[in-house]
Amino acid sequence: MTRTRTLGIATVAGTGALLALGVAPASAADTATVSVLHAVPDTPVDVYANGERLIDDFRPGTLTDPLSLPAGSYDLALFPADAPDGSGTPLLSADGVAVPAGANATVVAHLSADGQPALTPFVNDTSAVPAGQGRVVVRHTAAAPAVDVRAGGQVIVPGLTNPDEAALEVPAGTVSADVVVAGTTTVAIGPADLAVTEGATTIVYAWGSEASGYELAVQTISGAHSAPSGVPGGTAGLADSAADTALPLPLIGLSALGLLGAGVAARRLATTRG
Amino acid sequence: MRPAVAGMALGLALAVGVPTTWALTRPPAAAGAPVEQVLTAPAPPSAPPVPGVPVRDAAPLPVPDVVPPVRLEVPALGVDAPLEQAGVRPDGQMALPDDVGRAGWYRFGPAPGAPGSAVLAGHVDDAEQGLGALAPLREAEPGQEFLVTDAAGETTRWRVVSRELLDKRALPVDLLFGRTGPPRLTLVTCGGPFLPDVGGYRDNVVVVAEPAR
Repeated sequence: MTRTRTLGIATVAGTGALLALGVAPASAADTATVSVLHAVPDTPVDVYANGERLIDDFRPGTLTDPLSLPAGSYDLALFPADAPDGSGTPLLSADGVAVPAGANATVVAHLSADGQPALTPFVNDTSAVPAGQGRVVVRHTAAAPAVDVRAGGQVIVPGLTNPDEAALEVPAGTVSADVVVAGTTTVAIGPADLAVTEGATTIVYAWGSEASGYELAVQTISGAHSAPSGVPGGTAGLADSAADTALPLPLIGLSALGLLGAGVAARRLATTRG
Repeated sequence: MRPAVAGMALGLALAVGVPTTWALTRPPAAAGAPVEQVLTAPAPPSAPPVPGVPVRDAAPLPVPDVVPPVRLEVPALGVDAPLEQAGVRPDGQMALPDDVGRAGWYRFGPAPGAPGSAVLAGHVDDAEQGLGALAPLREAEPGQEFLVTDAAGETTRWRVVSRELLDKRALPVDLLFGRTGPPRLTLVTCGGPFLPDVGGYRDNVVVVAEPAR
């Protein structure tokens, strides 16, 4: 019972704290990292979170920097960019979007497969990838049916539908990527050179509509790198320090000679005394 | 009687003194501050809160051009090694040039001068090729100057702050290959005792340098 009440209060507190957006978060434990991508063609908007204007005059094809927000539940609403405030009927809204503490998410305003505006929160996988690799995530946010994503002409993600995503880990480098209508070679977007950054999550969005054209948007989240497991070295033993740690033979001889000398002298001493 | 006592003292002094003197005059395995200490990045200053929400174009960007380092010189040690771009081996270790006369720059990490630890590493030796270009690193001393030249012909100067032998099984790779903190040049090769049954050395010789001012 107490626990439930505590949780309830925490949610209210989280919502209230939203008014202080832009103020440095208290700690990483109770905040989330949220980016917003605008992928509805031809429609500049203002973005409101819990009634407060978060982004002014947000243009299609643009992405916010990662925002550090208090964890909690958010009511999101998009109004036309020339609307005076967040009252009236929004173009698009989503209530009770859960933003859990520690999460990294991207909220995407986009078109559904049949061309209706939609607001989709995606959770970003930022876990470490092996050294030399990059993570590629592809997200279908375009007003289009299923697609295949190809790299260098080879299908790497088959049959991706709006608003789904697929993730892969690939060697870092530049790939020539394009998007084709699923099961065909009819190119819908690209080809475009995509930089797969080592140790980062590179998220590629296919967005747009047939009327406005299809495009790619890219979001890169760094910090997923791993160090190599070690540094190999020589194999011949020419720089063996054991050769240095052992007393060189001439010095052993000299030391033994000293010991022998001391022994002889001691014996003589004993004989003389006796 | 006197000569016998003196002889005994002299003999004992020789017996004990020779190995002791030898042990005391050997070059130490480490010099300067510990590697882990000089590579531990200080906490970055917290950025001031930015008013409003920064927004940028999400169109794909061309791959950023990085000017790679191509040459390492250590005048005091007689080191002059061409550098290659090096990545990762299938087993997860850093890939090094097969030619022991060359060293590798870890191309996924920072370039020398960028924030974090730029790693240059090379084989210390090879059965057929002999000693490697980086073999003299085990004699590096704090204060010595390292010169790194990049592909654009720019030379940067570095000063050694640390040399240490670190056991390969406990190598602090996250620090050696760190990507944050002040610019550091980290040189790595092999050293310590050779373990014939493993076919390799027990330790890595790690030398850390910071920008010379």
